[in-house]
Amino acid sequence: MDPRQRPLLRRRLGAFKVLTWGLVGLLVVIYAWLQLVRHSEFKQLALQQAVKVRPIAAPRGLVLDRNGHRLVDNRRALHLVIQREDLPTSPEVIAALAEALFLDPAALTRKIQSYRLAGKGRPLVLKENLDESGIALAERVRARYPFLSVEVAPRRVYLGDELAGHVLGYVGEVDEPMMKAKPDLYRLGETIGKEGFEASGNDKLKGVDGQKRILVDQLGTEVANFGQVDAAAGRSLFLTLDAGLQKVAQDALGQEAGAVVVLDLRDGGVLALYSSPSYDPNLFLNRLSQDMVDRYLANNLTRPMVNRPIQGIYAPGSTFKLLVALAALEKGVVTPQTVIYCAGKKNFYGRDFRCDKPTGHGGLSMVQAIAQSCDVYFYELASRMDIDDIYATAEKYGLTERTGIDLPQEKRTRIPSRAWKRKAAPKDPKWYAGETISVGIGQGAVGVTPLGLARFYALLATRGKLLVPHLFYGFRDNQTNALELATPPPAKDTPLDPKLWAILDEGLAEVVLNGTASSNPLVREIAKEIPFSGKTGTAQVATFVDRAHYARQAKKLKDHALFAGYAPRDTPQIAFAVVVENAGFGATSAAPVAAKLVKYWFVDRLQNPLPPPRGRMVDPFAPQQVEAPE
Amino acid sequence: MRERLRALDPRLLWVLLALILLGTLTLYSAGRNTFQSGIWLKQSLWNLLGMLLLLLLATTDPRRIFRYSFPSYLLGLVVLAAVLVVGKKIGGATRWFVIAGQTFQPSELMKWVTLLYVSHRLGSRNADTVSRLELFGAVGLVVFPMLLIQRQPDLGMALSFLPILLIIPLMKGLRARWVVALLLLIGVGGFGAWKFGLKPYQKQRVLIFLDPSSDLQGKGYQVNQSRIAIGAGGLIGKGFTSGSQTQLNFLPVKTTDFAFSVWAEERGFLGVLLALGLFGLMLSRILDAAREAHTNAEAYFCAGAAGIFSLHLLVNVGMVAGALPNKGMVLPFFSAGGSSTLSFFLALGLIMGILHRSRVK
Repeated sequence: MDPRQRPLLRRRLGAFKVLTWGLVGLLVVIYAWLQLVRHSEFKQLALQQAVKVRPIAAPRGLVLDRNGHRLVDNRRALHLVIQREDLPTSPEVIAALAEALFLDPAALTRKIQSYRLAGKGRPLVLKENLDESGIALAERVRARYPFLSVEVAPRRVYLGDELAGHVLGYVGEVDEPMMKAKPDLYRLGETIGKEGFEASGNDKLKGVDGQKRILVDQLGTEVANFGQVDAAAGRSLFLTLDAGLQKVAQDALGQEAGAVVVLDLRDGGVLALYSSPSYDPNLFLNRLSQDMVDRYLANNLTRPMVNRPIQGIYAPGSTFKLLVALAALEKGVVTPQTVIYCAGKKNFYGRDFRCDKPTGHGGLSMVQAIAQSCDVYFYELASRMDIDDIYATAEKYGLTERTGIDLPQEKRTRIPSRAWKRKAAPKDPKWYAGETISVGIGQGAVGVTPLGLARFYALLATRGKLLVPHLFYGFRDNQTNALELATPPPAKDTPLDPKLWAILDEGLAEVVLNGTASSNPLVREIAKEIPFSGKTGTAQVATFVDRAHYARQAKKLKDHALFAGYAPRDTPQIAFAVVVENAGFGATSAAPVAAKLVKYWFVDRLQNPLPPPRGRMVDPFAPQQVEAPE
Repeated sequence: MRERLRALDPRLLWVLLALILLGTLTLYSAGRNTFQSGIWLKQSLWNLLGMLLLLLLATTDPRRIFRYSFPSYLLGLVVLAAVLVVGKKIGGATRWFVIAGQTFQPSELMKWVTLLYVSHRLGSRNADTVSRLELFGAVGLVVFPMLLIQRQPDLGMALSFLPILLIIPLMKGLRARWVVALLLLIGVGGFGAWKFGLKPYQKQRVLIFLDPSSDLQGKGYQVNQSRIAIGAGGLIGKGFTSGSQTQLNFLPVKTTDFAFSVWAEERGFLGVLLALGLFGLMLSRILDAAREAHTNAEAYFCAGAAGIFSLHLLVNVGMVAGALPNKGMVLPFFSAGGSSTLSFFLALGLIMGILHRSRVK
């Protein structure tokens, strides 16, 4: 039968045709819905994934010593990162990523969470400072997770390694507590100074991040750049520090724990500030490994993270006697000529107080007492005063306040007074006269920072000028690379009577010439070349029954050795304080360190200075230095 | 030659040439700046080859072709069985032969061979009624190759056999209410079972049976990117070779399954209207051929071909818009691929031959 004659077939074919046009119509409606009604929504989505705003990290300024030698440099480094908008959400993906990169999944999840909540900004860094194997790993993992990218960013290099760890500090990623404290100031992922001058000088060193609008393809590769705001590098700056002198301090302390501070008497600039044991800031740039924690943070034995010159509180021992003498003279309880007899010990309030020389010094004037460091003489002075008299003098000459150095977390010296005792020991708030006797020789409740001590000796050297120690010397000029000297923080004048000053000055000179410090051959030899003044101190850590008992004690219970003074004797230019922990006599352990500093500063520095610091860190992936282009 | 060219139906030819042009432009843009930058040329070669095939078939008496439908069908089954044994495994599925470095997918051709044979068989019987025997016979003829294909596995391809099963009995005279009742039963039963009868792990098994390579997250991503591309195209499109989704590779498999999204992004809603209009005209013309055909077998073949083309159109264009599940079904003349292209031309050649004969006699 001819199909053309079949009505049923024709009917059904007709219906089929209507159906096909209906199908086309349906598709048109679907496409009209997507392309006309929801067009702007999808256009936005397409734009969002193709056009990205990426921050450009600004390099921080370099840090130079006073001679322009680099202490902190920038190098190029590669980091494996995830841009903010690409942060994965799926727990499985995060877990797989953590496993592939050998990261802790829980920590990574937390981090991704906080970055997602924080919105726009620097990318999340998964692996820093990639080396050859790191790059290989990154590329391998990136093939599977295309939302990862490798970013070039400047990285800090601390050229002296341990040379000035505590001074410079280090940088790190801003952490959550900081962000919570100052949400307008910090952005998540931002690099900021965490310790030392990197922290206190953060605002001076940091640059302004730039950003670029780029077109990316599905793999996140930059296809086109729609324009960018360049990052403005932070300004490079000079520190008052002298790298050579710092090196001398480092070498002089060697393996001993302790602190060295050297101040420039002209303006209070810190020429050297060394804390031993030091740390290498380079090691703190990466996430801390357990090894690092063991070596540094959790080391309770030597406490390398404590910046001893400004955070170490030491009994000043005999170095404190100058303040006691000044208080006694100002109060008028003695004259410089008053002779006090030392029999090796003296009884106050029913208790024997011993002198360092058991046989006694005999009769001593003030200059002799300082030179010989006679304890009995200063017990006697203390017994003639009230503790608040000593405190008042300390306050007058700035010893009770922080020095105000531009480093974070400086500790305050502890000079006892009746008010202090009430606060410090509420259960036994009364001040006993016997306690004053101990304070007379810098023991008991007295505690000073090496920097505070150095500032007091700087005050003696300058006949009453209370300097503000500081590290910031000035910015570097963009064109000439020369120093643009900053105005130093102003010094305060104190009413130090020149007549009284002359006595103390003579006493300090005598210490080195004929007194306690003269016993050391190195001190004698250097003092012959560059006469200098200073005071030894031996601060008790524990109380001993007798010398034999002391000799048997473990090293960590031995006395701290101190030496504080200034040089040259007649026209002082620098003041210094040296503390060598558990090293015994100040004259034998601390004074030679000071002598070496004096020798370098006044002789070697001018004749053959030490070379600029050069770190042992060699970074094969960043051979070229990144000048901070301003 | 001129005589042969005259055999080509002009209305169908112009629509076909227009679709080929659209498809070539799409592939040029989709392959640009990728390792497939030459794919439009390669596809043009297939198109050329297809045109020759079409010319050959259009000038051949359709009855001679129908005469070879049974041996072709048997050969097709053998080949489908063979591909399971010696075929090349790509992405977990064994669908391809490799001949001279060229992959060839026999199931593409088998679809049309099955249509040809089923049309032939049912066309030689009494019209306007469908006996149970005929119906079950047709079901057997279609389901057998479908099962072989599902073994590969390739659910999309297997499903594209369904129009044969549905349309030819309908055209022959199967009462429409039976079809409606059957569809309702399958729909309600399937929905009910899915909703209440099956436990989650059983559903999982069904899903895995239907699509063993299912990676929901991955395919969700693809369709999402495709929808963004389509929607971002707007009314007039981003312009030729200027679609960000296409050119920046956000759009996946853009030379095959998602080729239409490229067109939609770069040419916009107006371009979509043009393409869909052309497809509509093509389907209309194929159905005209069914109406004008001299034999029932020819009419069934044309109607079945319209069904298969419609299914491809619906599933592919609907899928890239996210309106239908992601089942790999290519869009004729847009998606690159030798086997599918040749088989579409083959079908159209036969249809043109039918049209030619209806005009001549």
